Order: sequence, then structure tokens, then C-alpha cells
Amino acid sequence: MTRRMLSRSLLIGGGFAALLAALAAGRMLLIEKAGAQAQAGVTAPRFEVDPLWPKPLPNHWVLGSTIGVWVDSDDHVWIVHRGSSTLAINEKQAEAKTGECCAGAPPVLEFDQAGNLLRHWGGPGQGYQWPDSNHGIFIDHKGNVWIGGNGPSDSHILKFTKDGKFLMQAGLKGARRKAGAAAGNNEGDVAGFAGNSNDPVSFGRVAKIFVDAKANEAYIADGYLNKRVAVLDADTGKIKRWWGAYGNKPDDTPLPAYSPSAPPAKQFYNPVHCADMSVDRLIYVCDRVGNRLQVFTPEGKFLKEEFYEKETLNSGSVWDVAFSKDPQQKYIYIADGVNEKVKIIERQSLKELTTFGDGGRYPGQFYGVHSIAVDSKGNIYTTETYEGKRLQRFLYKGPAPVTKMNQGTVWPSR
Amino acid sequence: MRFGLFPGWLVLLLALALPAAAHEIPSDITVTMFARPQGHVLRVLVRLPLRASMDAEYPRRERDFVDLAKAGPSLRNAAASVLANNLEIYEGGARLRAPRIAAARMSLESDRSFSGFDQALAHVTGPPLPAGTTLFWEQGLLDVLFEYPIRSDASRFSLETRFDRFALKTVTALQFLPPDGSARAFLLEGNAGLVHLDPTWFQAAGNFVRMGFLHILEGTDHLLFLLCLIIPFRRIGPLIPIVTAFTVAHSITLIASAFGFAPDALWFPPLIETLIAASVFYMALENIVSLHPWRRWIVTFGFGLVHGFGFSFVLQHTLQFAGSHLLTSLLAFNIGVEIGQVLVLMLLVPALNLLFRHVVAERLGVIILSAIVAHTAWHWLGERFDVLSQFPWPTLTAEGLASLLGWLIVLVAMIAGLWMVTLLPKSWARVVTGESRRAP
Repeated sequence: MTRRMLSRSLLIGGGFAALLAALAAGRMLLIEKAGAQAQAGVTAPRFEVDPLWPKPLPNHWVLGSTIGVWVDSDDHVWIVHRGSSTLAINEKQAEAKTGECCAGAPPVLEFDQAGNLLRHWGGPGQGYQWPDSNHGIFIDHKGNVWIGGNGPSDSHILKFTKDGKFLMQAGLKGARRKAGAAAGNNEGDVAGFAGNSNDPVSFGRVAKIFVDAKANEAYIADGYLNKRVAVLDADTGKIKRWWGAYGNKPDDTPLPAYSPSAPPAKQFYNPVHCADMSVDRLIYVCDRVGNRLQVFTPEGKFLKEEFYEKETLNSGSVWDVAFSKDPQQKYIYIADGVNEKVKIIERQSLKELTTFGDGGRYPGQFYGVHSIAVDSKGNIYTTETYEGKRLQRFLYKGPAPVTKMNQGTVWPSR
Repeated sequence: MRFGLFPGWLVLLLALALPAAAHEIPSDITVTMFARPQGHVLRVLVRLPLRASMDAEYPRRERDFVDLAKAGPSLRNAAASVLANNLEIYEGGARLRAPRIAAARMSLESDRSFSGFDQALAHVTGPPLPAGTTLFWEQGLLDVLFEYPIRSDASRFSLETRFDRFALKTVTALQFLPPDGSARAFLLEGNAGLVHLDPTWFQAAGNFVRMGFLHILEGTDHLLFLLCLIIPFRRIGPLIPIVTAFTVAHSITLIASAFGFAPDALWFPPLIETLIAASVFYMALENIVSLHPWRRWIVTFGFGLVHGFGFSFVLQHTLQFAGSHLLTSLLAFNIGVEIGQVLVLMLLVPALNLLFRHVVAERLGVIILSAIVAHTAWHWLGERFDVLSQFPWPTLTAEGLASLLGWLIVLVAMIAGLWMVTLLPKSWARVVTGESRRAP
């Protein structure tokens, strides 16, 4: 009996030892494989959607088409959206008093890192002309909030304090209206307006603003009607210089529709959708419909360009850019609202490394991903226009080997 | 006005319900600090967003911009009244006198010089913002250099802040830079109490014993688990192996987590929280269906591993107070947990004995109490599983599989260890009784 028990114990003990040895060997093999994978391929930042951010809005508020996002120095996330004007009747029954839910939230909203809504303001007021169609938001080095607009008659930009106190208007609303055109400001009245990309005072449906702290200059992506980057004094709003594609003098002559097989246009298509400055003081300009990113010096000297998903038609593939948070800003993140993804680009070469996202309405998916920004931890924030109408956060999970060109929806995982 | 007197949720509710207005309490503020003792001077650099000091009087230009040419005295006033008055620094237990304000200036939100001590010092003592800069007080930063006379830069320093009045949530990012060239980083939430910047081992241990003790007493799920363990065993003898198994198990995973062996995925905390609820539910059910839960210490050991991960989530933000005594602090935390457990046992065991002697029959009492606990745990299980189910299963990569196998090795080794322990009592029994073999 003792011998049987001893044999049994030895057998079980031996089994444990063999199992442990097999597991250890398997683990070593896997570690080797993971190391080889990491060394062999390209690495790029990896992200996971944060499905629990932001928290629900109070007061039955809902977002309209959300067309601007920026992160301030406190890592608070600011968005601008179009509110009620882009909500269907059945989305805003509280406004019509036909039901409890819902109502458009104020246009400018601030969220903290926990996803709580903080300040909220915006809309027409004394001393300034609120845009017909809000577009783009930026918080400058002095903590001021800049807003553009791409409604037919929006040819101006606004600056406020973070509390919503009006500070400055650059340009005049309605400046692009053709002489004798009807007074309508709706999307259908767009034919009553014409671009003037050499106007030293007003703009033409501005898409985005970026303020250079060092020179105290604002770069304006101008825009949906004009075809230029305009640079102005951030305190006075006076336009100092401007340029078009390839640094050419902008020309508002209508361009033929974009064709992937045609030679690159010598002017920007509409809209010029972003003009952001990197740490090494290069200006990256989104020619959205032209599917290209052009790079300039602050004076407007053309340096280089790159095309992305050239076959993309309609609204184009280069909607907005943001830079990674490493000191060199090694990567560019491009929002692509037609192919519904975020592209990760190596900034030096402008080569696309990988993408994430897919079309859809679940967390991590997009419907018209329009604007993009990055916080101090490297997390990405996106907003969606059209019926997307939301703000999402993607958590930075560090560099990782690129195993797929299109990662699809990046659900949380290890 | 002392905002700290109001519950945070109430202030937040009011802030959400009302439109934005001037002089609102900021929702969150980050204070950045560096402290470097050098010779007989402790230099403390502080950066504070000025929206923490909205009621300050300051000279204004047109449109309420700060008149920077005349703002010096206002900035020094703010440095003294807002910062120095809410900051106490101790050298070896003795409070240092009020500091000298060596420099105070206003900076733009975009300034990044407070990423390191040397850049911050150069910035604070460097040229001020041009007088013509258009800047609002509440959108600017106050940068201050305080100088405290000290006996020696080798002294042990500690500090206490009262910064929670600045915002609904105040975080202080502090770096202590002792003369040996090392650096200790702290992230303090609200008023973190007395913080030893370079604690001795017994200061660290005392602090962590207290944390462990408070944590077990505040953790309802851990307490209910403990209650389930002792409902059927209300004598010290049978409880010793059970409580010891729980202690050893949670110590293993707690220490492993502190040394970075736990998964850092988003789904891991909800998984552990769900498993903790499951452990309470299982124990309660076992009390109901089994008259004499057999080898409960083994099950307890397994669940103890899970609870250890739960404890580690608490420690994630507090290990910064361990200084160079990480292992000591972890063991001290465990000791605090054990003291709390023993205290609970000392109260619960006689209480249960009295209950079953005078109020309800033992078996019926065990069933009723366990059913109440099972009911609570079942609700927790549902709620926590709902959170967990928002996270899909992770994609298996070579790196992830290797990590999984690592944990499997640990698990198999533990099972093997437990199996070996089960052999021991028989041997001992044979030794004690002198019985060489049992009849077939």
C-alpha cells in the first residue's frame, strides 16, 4: 500500500514537473516569436477606444454634427458642434415641447479627463456675428477659444475667453456674397457667394484655426469657399500673408472635379480643411478633396506633399491632422471621414504606416470622422459630422509592431 | 469661503445645472511642484493656474487684460496668500518658517518649462512676459520660487498641502530632488496629509499598515467574504488554516502586482471585481448547501489570489509613498489587512455565537445569514459583469500568450504546492499516531 501511494505520488509529482517544463518551454518560444515580430516589422502607436468616455450629457442634451475638437493645456477637451440646426425633429422634441427628449446642447462644450461636461456656451450675442455653421475650434497659448464657420455667409472667425466672453472678430460675415445676390444664408443659397482668396480682410468659409504661440500668429484653413492658408496677427486679427497650393498665389477659378488619374491640381480644392503647425514649425495643410497633405514653411514656401487613398472621391481622404505627443512629433494622425478611419503617418517620410477605425455606430467606429486632436498623454480625440454627432476617445497604448495595415475597430484589449 | 465644506457631488451638480458664469469653482486643477534641498536652502518651485485664485485683486488694462507691468505685487500676494499659506514643510519633524518669495511671475498656458527643475528655475527667474501681452488673469499661470532656510540638505523632509480648496479636484504633481541625484515623483490628490518625501522604513511601514487596516474595513466585499468564511467555523482552531490561506494567497498576488506582473489591460480590474463578487456568492452558497465545507482553506486560497489583485488596485496610487521601501511597504499593507481581519474576527465570532445561542438555531441562522450575503453578492455579480461585458475578449498575440503562459506556470506551481501540502498532514498523522499503514 505504501509503495502504491508512493508510486502514485511520484507519478503526480512527475506530471506536475513535466507540465511546468512544457509550459516554460512554450513560453520561451512565444517570447522569442514576439521579440522577432517586434524587430522585424514597423512599429506605430497603438490605440484602443475608450467606450466609457465621455459621460452622458445633462439636461437631455444631444450633439449635432460635431465639427471641431481641441485639447487645452489642462487636458480638457473642447468641441464645437452645430446643435439644433443639424438635429432631426425627432431628435429635439424637448425643444419643440412635444416630448421630454431631447434638445441640442450649446455649441461649445468643455470636458475634463473623467468625461464630465464643464463649461458650455455659444451662440449669437452682442458685438459679434455668430457663424451660421460652426466649424473648427482651437484653444490658443493664452487660453482663448477660436471658432470658424463654413455657412455660405460665414467669412469671419471669432475669439472668446474660455468662459465665452467675446474678444475679437476677424473678417466680416457676408463678405463673400455676390453683388445683387439674394440675402439667404442657407446651404441652398451657396450660389450667391463667390470666393476671394486674395481678400486681405475677410475669409471664405473657414474650416480650422491654429495659433502659433511663438509668433502669436493664427493660421487659417480658408476654406470651403476660398482656397488658401491665411496668416494673421492673433491679437489684432489683421491678415499678414496668405498662399495657395504649392505656395502659389491662390486663384478662385473653379477646378474640374477631382480625378485620381488627372495631374495634381495647382490650386487647392475646396475645402482647405486644416493648417496645423508642428514642433519644427512646418505647416501641414489638408487639401481634403485633393486627397493630399501639403507641407509649407511658416512663410508659405512649399516643401513637399503626399497623397492618401487617391481613389477616394466625393469628400476626400485628408480631413484633419494631429501630431503625436512625443517631443519630435514622430507621427501624424489623419482623420479620413470618407473611408472612416484614422491614418497613422510617419511625419518625416509622410508614409502611411497603419490605420484604425471602420464605418459604424459602435464605439471605435466612425460616421464622418471629421476632426482630431491629441492630449498630453498621447490619447486621440475624434469628432464626427453628418449623423455621426459624437466625440470619442482612443487611449494611447504605446508603440506596437504593425501587423495589419487596416486594424479595423480597435476594441479594448491587452 | 471654504468650498471644502460642501460635498463634491453637490458642487458638481450645481456646476452642471447652471450655465457657465464667472468665478465658478474650477472643476480640476493641477499644481506642479519641485522641491530641491541644496546646502542650507530648500528651493520649492510651484506652478498654479490662476483660475484657482479668481477673487484676487490685480491691475487691469483695457478689456480686463492683466496689466503685466504693474502685476508684480499682486502675483506676490497670490503666492503668499494662496500658496505659502496652504503649504507646510517640515525638516525632520520641525515645521519650517514662512519662505522667502524669491521670484513670482505670470506665464502663458502654453509654457512647457515646468517639465524639469532646471528649466523651471531658469523660467521663473528669467525675464517676465512682455508688458504688452494680452492675457486674462484666469487664463494665466502663477510661477513662484520659494526659498526655505534649512539646517542641512541631508535632512528628512515632509510636506502637507491644503490645495483642495482650489478646485473640485486638485492634483499636485510633485518632484522631490534630494542631493544624491535621485528623484521621487508624487501625484497627490486633494489634501494628501503629511507626505514624507524620503520616508524611513518605519515611516513607510506605519503609513502602509494604516492603509491596509483602513482598506479592509472599508471594503464591504472583502468583509462579506470574511463573514462567509467564518459563519460555519466560529472557533479559532478551524479558522487558522482558512485565514492563513487567504492571507498567503492575497499577499502573493498583491506583491506580484506591485512588481508589474499583473495585466494592465482595461478589462482586468472589472474581471477581478466580478470574480470577487463571485467568490462571495460561492462561499455563501457553500455555507447553505454544505454542512461541513470540506477543505475550505483550498478554495479560500484560490479566492485569496483574486482578492489580492483587488487590493493591488488600491495600492496603485499609493506606492509612491513607499520611498525606497517597496517590499517593506507591501508587507506592511498586508499586516494592516491582517490586523483589520483579526479585529473583524474578534467581533464577529462572539457575535455569531451569541446570535446562534440565543436568537436563532445554528443551522437556520447559517442559512439565513448566508442567503442575505448571497443575495447581495448576486447583485454585485450582475452589476460588475455588466461592466466587464463591455470589454470583449482580448486578441491573442505571441506576447499576450507568453504572458498568459507565465501566469499558468505560476498557477500550476501553486496547485502543485497545495497538493504537496495535502500530503503533509497524513505523514504527520502517521508520525503522531505511530501508524505505519491504514487497513484496506
